[in-house]
Amino acid sequence: MKSLIIAAALTIWSGTAMAHSPIERTTPSNEAIVAAEPDMIDMTFKKGIRLTKVSMTHAAHPSVSLDITGTKGFITDYSIPMQKMGTGTYIIKWRGLGKDGHAINGDFSFSVE
Amino acid sequence: MPDFWGIIEVLVKLSLYLGILTASGIVFSALIFKINDYQKSVIFFGLIGLIATIFAFSLRGAALTGDMSGMYDTEMLSLLWGTPVGTALMYRLIGLSILLLGLVMGHKGLYFSAIGGALAIWSFDHIGHVPDKDLTLLNLALFLHLLFAALWIGILKPLKKLALSANTLAVAADIGHQFGRLASVTVPVLIIVGLYLAYFLVGSWTALFTTAYGQTLLIKVSIVALLLGLAAVNKLRIIPGLQRGDANSAEHLVKAISWEWGAIILILTVTAILTSTLTLPT
Repeated sequence: MKSLIIAAALTIWSGTAMAHSPIERTTPSNEAIVAAEPDMIDMTFKKGIRLTKVSMTHAAHPSVSLDITGTKGFITDYSIPMQKMGTGTYIIKWRGLGKDGHAINGDFSFSVE
Repeated sequence: MPDFWGIIEVLVKLSLYLGILTASGIVFSALIFKINDYQKSVIFFGLIGLIATIFAFSLRGAALTGDMSGMYDTEMLSLLWGTPVGTALMYRLIGLSILLLGLVMGHKGLYFSAIGGALAIWSFDHIGHVPDKDLTLLNLALFLHLLFAALWIGILKPLKKLALSANTLAVAADIGHQFGRLASVTVPVLIIVGLYLAYFLVGSWTALFTTAYGQTLLIKVSIVALLLGLAAVNKLRIIPGLQRGDANSAEHLVKAISWEWGAIILILTVTAILTSTLTLPT
């Protein structure tokens, strides 16, 4: 019985897929190539959310948390100050809370030439 | 394949469903079928429900920070408290506390425990995919679905215990018969309400067969069909045999209940996957 349960659970998991993106747009947009590092990262969500963590990874630099302490409540538009690290690919990972209590997360990237 | 936290979330939800539904179901069964000696099982599953309730809440904090620190981060937890997740936590903590407190209040306490169990079950109407739809009838349907599911799960442990002792075989036969009569009403309602919920959540035949949510729901329905087959064997063959005093029937009942437990754990696991890692078809 135990092996049957484990086998069935693994079969079910193998067919699962993750959530669709709740994000409307970002600036810079996903996979964009820009001439210089932007001062701010803008994120617009389809519904109001409360961002709880935004981190940035660039080349060999260790991941850094971006400052979201100024934001309050459940809003759709976020403008977050960025730490400039030169040319290369930047990966932004974000986590947040929906008004319905669901935790949501996602990521996007852009490159600076 | 979900990540480590996804697997932990599914396991915690499985414990939450198992704890709340079994503890409440045993209390409902004890009240309806006048079963004695149910307290230890209720305490066991009630405590599983309580621990899973607290763990599930703090785990949502971890989902907000992406690491374990979120589990005890007061800012994250207070953010969650202000959402329906906090409302569900409140119903579960109050409901399970009332359910456990009722156990020390004598026979009248059983009514108290039943109210606590119903309150804990009501918590599921405040969180997950059904409240997203914001329809009163849908919420009532989910509540009824869970109440009847709890009653089914709740009869298994007491019935198995009665069937294991030669002195209580007659009682097991009587309660099995009474449950069979009640189930001939509650189980069809459970299924009809389940299909109604599935119709609203999935939305179309195409989504049922082509989306991960729909396919996983089909797996759940298939296991429910197996469980119904087992229940039918119990009602039509094993319980009548037990009523005639057939000693082999007791052994068959114990085995059938073990298989029912296996099917129920599978159903609850699939449900936990549906509510944790999958989104509704759009």
